[in-house]
Amino acid sequence: MSMLKKMELKKHMMTAISFFLPVVVGAGFLLAIGNILGGQNIEDFSAGFTFADTLTTMGNLGLGLLPMVAATAISFSIADKPGIAPGIIVGMVSSSIGAGFLGGLLGGYIAGYLVQFIKKYVKVPKWMEGLMPTLIIPFLGAALAGLIMFYIIGTPISVFTEYLTAYLGNLNTSSLFLYGVIIGVLSSIDYGGPINKIVFSFVFTLFSEGIYEPITVLILASMVTPFGMTMAYFISKLFRKKIYTKLEVETLKTAFPMGICQITEGCFPIVMNDIIRCVVATGIGGGIGGGLSMLWAADSRIPAGGMFALPTMENPIGFIAALLIGSLATAIALIILKKPVTDAQENKVKEHEEADIDISDLRIS
Amino acid sequence: MNIVGVAACTAGIAHTYIAKEKLMKAAQEAGHSIFVETQGTIGTQDNLTEEQIKEADVVVIAADVKINGKNRFKGKKTIEVPTDLVIKSPNKFIKKVEEVVAPA
Repeated sequence: MSMLKKMELKKHMMTAISFFLPVVVGAGFLLAIGNILGGQNIEDFSAGFTFADTLTTMGNLGLGLLPMVAATAISFSIADKPGIAPGIIVGMVSSSIGAGFLGGLLGGYIAGYLVQFIKKYVKVPKWMEGLMPTLIIPFLGAALAGLIMFYIIGTPISVFTEYLTAYLGNLNTSSLFLYGVIIGVLSSIDYGGPINKIVFSFVFTLFSEGIYEPITVLILASMVTPFGMTMAYFISKLFRKKIYTKLEVETLKTAFPMGICQITEGCFPIVMNDIIRCVVATGIGGGIGGGLSMLWAADSRIPAGGMFALPTMENPIGFIAALLIGSLATAIALIILKKPVTDAQENKVKEHEEADIDISDLRIS
Repeated sequence: MNIVGVAACTAGIAHTYIAKEKLMKAAQEAGHSIFVETQGTIGTQDNLTEEQIKEADVVVIAADVKINGKNRFKGKKTIEVPTDLVIKSPNKFIKKVEEVVAPA
């Protein structure tokens, strides 16, 4: 366990996400706008192209790079600068042999730890030391990681991805709803935190295989929280139950517009003040909204963007309906669960109990 | 005590800055001098100066991702934690930092 903790698997994953998210958003929007304008992917540049074609093509190129970006970022996070070259190569191998994004993630870990291993255990004579970073690590690291991808893990991953794609393509109604609920709950309960991001890398794998519904559930679930909390404010006024402090109402004013762009983090201050009730309420809303979205086959063709993803869907009405119903569920749950705000709370500058610190979480050096 | 810190989270838009704010507040209330650099999606802001790092008794890194420029802190006592921890328990965290630094 302590060995696992020392490897910091999660931190490398988070680093990868922080690297590829901007690529996803940039390329996703290019693709979406290009598609709306009727753009086609350019196959033969010498035959000429339209403006819309350029956007679509840029989007496709960007999204196609994602396995490489993920592999490179993970390998870089593990092995620092020497990890970059093997990461790039193993990532490109992964996309070429059809192991895709999942392969990119695994390949990144393999490349990174291989480079660490080489740095530590491959000993060379003094006169060769200069060759270590310039020749041995880039060559050996890339060769070994790439070969592992080609001969060992590449095929099983691409078979698995194909199987998953086929399986999800043939789901019946009730299991569709169930999967929607699961994705919805998991991606809403930690407000854009690590669980959400891990779900993201999973649904993104499906997205890159052309299954758009699961990632749409994630987009929706990230929006349900800010929408639901805002709805709760207005509905609670009708019932004359005060559930937010003045400060929290101020927070909503920025949290809601952020929510339109699929950023949940704006709600964070409200959540922190009453964490358990909020998590329960958002989980309920995320689950219901997610299930319905999956059932009604809302399908975003870009992997992020909130309301901006709407024009890319074939069933935008389904998305809106699922979003509103999910948000309403969160709102109702919040109103029922949350205790009315007392004057004391209103005046107190949040002095809630701090959680105890586990000393093993501190890495001292 | 002089503290320098770096905050960085996955999305780089919210936790990074909340962590910075909480760290600053808790440290200042406890009577320490503190500078915190943020490494968000927008890039690095409030860069730590060489001077600040040289005078620091301890380096605090609140990050969920790999941070840039860690080699600047070579030879300094460094404490690494996830951003969650300083957001949830900033005052207790500063106390722990004091305990870690004090015996030295």
